[in-house]
Amino acid sequence: MHISEGILSAPVLISGAVLAAAGTAVGLKKLDYERIPQVAVLSAAFFIVSLVHVPIGPSNVHLILNGLIGLLLGWVAFPAILVGLLLQAILFQFGGFTSLGVNISVMSFPAVLCFYAFRRGVRNEKAGLSMLSSFMCGFCSVLLGGILVALALTFTGKSFINAAKVIVIAHLPVMIIEGLIVAGCVKFLKKVKPEILEVIYDG
Amino acid sequence: MTAESTHREMSLLSRLLSGLVIGLGLIFTFPCTVCAHNVFIYAWVDGDTVYTESYFGAKRKVQGGLIRVFDLPGKELLEGRTNKKGEFSFKIPQKTDLRIVVEAGMGHRNEFILKAEDISDVGAVAEPLKTGGTKAESTHSISADAEQIKAVVEQALDSRLRPLRQELAAIRKEKSPGVTEIIGGIGYIFGIMGLIMYFMSRKTGG
Repeated sequence: MHISEGILSAPVLISGAVLAAAGTAVGLKKLDYERIPQVAVLSAAFFIVSLVHVPIGPSNVHLILNGLIGLLLGWVAFPAILVGLLLQAILFQFGGFTSLGVNISVMSFPAVLCFYAFRRGVRNEKAGLSMLSSFMCGFCSVLLGGILVALALTFTGKSFINAAKVIVIAHLPVMIIEGLIVAGCVKFLKKVKPEILEVIYDG
Repeated sequence: MTAESTHREMSLLSRLLSGLVIGLGLIFTFPCTVCAHNVFIYAWVDGDTVYTESYFGAKRKVQGGLIRVFDLPGKELLEGRTNKKGEFSFKIPQKTDLRIVVEAGMGHRNEFILKAEDISDVGAVAEPLKTGGTKAESTHSISADAEQIKAVVEQALDSRLRPLRQELAAIRKEKSPGVTEIIGGIGYIFGIMGLIMYFMSRKTGG
């Protein structure tokens, strides 16, 4: 879900960049010294996981992991995704420099939104509810990301419904896989290293 | 005490160096990647037809992608869709530079500029052959022969060059990320982590 250069119009690119800058500013403000290595690890995971292509369906889709990053980092997902996307643009030629802001916004806002929407469910004592919320966090982050990409493409003259349909259907396998990944990670972390999940218990 | 301070200086030096490396790396990689994305298109001329091939990374072809052909000023000349093998071909619309754009949906786009000299070398070959006729009375028959020779040579060249073109296309496809890029990227991320930790530690510690 990287939007290439030369597709979006200047107003969309600029508003994407402004939103991304605002989100990154909030994220950096919330960044504690102790959590920097964790952010780096998740950023590295985001960077690499885009190479994991999901060979289902006709189009070119890959894992994103924005749900996991959102759940573990909250607003700090913005700087983590920024670094990952920047390096993907430089080294892998995914996306582009002018569309970087839009791509950051498209991946990070769903991450933050799902963090706030599902963290209560994830920290619930009942294992079933916690698993379901984790799954939904991974699933909905990709879904919302797809909808935002469709929204950005709408301004280029494409019909929103068509674009959204194509993107969401193509990413359905990714949504399910990422839901399972987040659920698996939460289950594992709760057992092995619960302090990593502490961000979902703040506030 | 002194050991600690030298250790500090060393780590400061190494951090400054890593920052420098990252900065330089960013500057040097910037220009060559501005025009590149993860969908690629490659075009070549064979006779009077332009062949194009579009692909994501090394393996996946762009199926049903929109191909639009422009001249350099930006006038759209024609458009079409790629077949299952990611190919699309069209008759040369005009002998100028052509900008061939592929749009593969979901925000994927790239372009390939086909240079005029790659298109118009067909006409350039005939000229020296024609003037090669020295005797005035036999000019007519020689030019007819030259036409035939030209056609034969072109055909032979085309078949000889085809593997080369395919090789070239294959080399271009190998642009998909390799181990160097992956490890480099991870290195950058931890370099950035080090930088941020350094600056934050100075703020809180000092």
